Amino acid sequence: MQKARKILSQDTLKRGLAAGVDVTWQLAKIIIPIYFIVTFLKHTPALDIVSNLFSPLMRLFGLPGKAAIVLVLGNVVNLYAAIGAMVSLSLSYKELTVLAIMLSFCHSLPVETALAKKIGLSAVNVIAVRAGLAILSGLAFNLMLQ
Amino acid sequence: MLSILKEAAVGSFLSVKQIAFIVIPLMVFMEILKDAGILDKVANLFSPVVKIYGMKKESGFPLVIGIIIGLSYGAGVIFRSARDDKLPKKDLYLITYFLVCAHAVFEDTAIFMAIGASGILLLVTRLIAAAFFTYLASRLIKSETLIKSDTGGNMLD
Repeated sequence: MQKARKILSQDTLKRGLAAGVDVTWQLAKIIIPIYFIVTFLKHTPALDIVSNLFSPLMRLFGLPGKAAIVLVLGNVVNLYAAIGAMVSLSLSYKELTVLAIMLSFCHSLPVETALAKKIGLSAVNVIAVRAGLAILSGLAFNLMLQ
Repeated sequence: MLSILKEAAVGSFLSVKQIAFIVIPLMVFMEILKDAGILDKVANLFSPVVKIYGMKKESGFPLVIGIIIGLSYGAGVIFRSARDDKLPKKDLYLITYFLVCAHAVFEDTAIFMAIGASGILLLVTRLIAAAFFTYLASRLIKSETLIKSDTGGNMLD
């Protein structure tokens, strides 16, 4: 399929800048409030309670229990919400990379599953495949990374 | 309390700034690729590769666009190619399976890199895993048998 060739112009630059600023703004709108909430929770017992609850499960991926918050936010809301939690939780390089690969495969389930359904795929299959890839990659990265 | 607020304000500002420094140049670069016609050329270049999935050559275009740009924009291209190029349903399903596993790969990777994860590891793992899974799916989906007749179909109207 060939599309009509457009010409490079100042508009290109403008559109690119606008797109970049838009992504940054969409991100900021979510990251900032989540950062405040998580930072606040860090100073209450709530984060420790969640952390202890999920630490046996998260240990499989080499992650601290509190990382469960990142995975929940990423899947229920979107990647930006997960990133807001990631940056506020002070995680290591390995923990960040394990979370990033798991989230890359599986995120924003309500919105993206609806899209896949619209094209005709079964929601259960799509979620199973994505969650499966996320779990496998998380286990593998935990073993692979130092 | 004040120190908590300050910690959150400074921390969140620095994180957003860090991401902006990577995302804005990336989006400008992608726009240049689009307008210079390079994106279309790349997509057409990779189109024949989808033959290993038993897909039509035309199915490669929406797939590559979705991988690079993202799912919501990709879906628009998928719908258009499905109509214009009369893509078989199996191709649509495989494209979508690939894309739900790996879409907007450069943008996502750039953001994760900005906050301190390994970008190259993410990119390579995502693409290989999605390609491998789609290959498995291409063997499993033989015909239209997996398809619930009431869900597909009318999207092409």
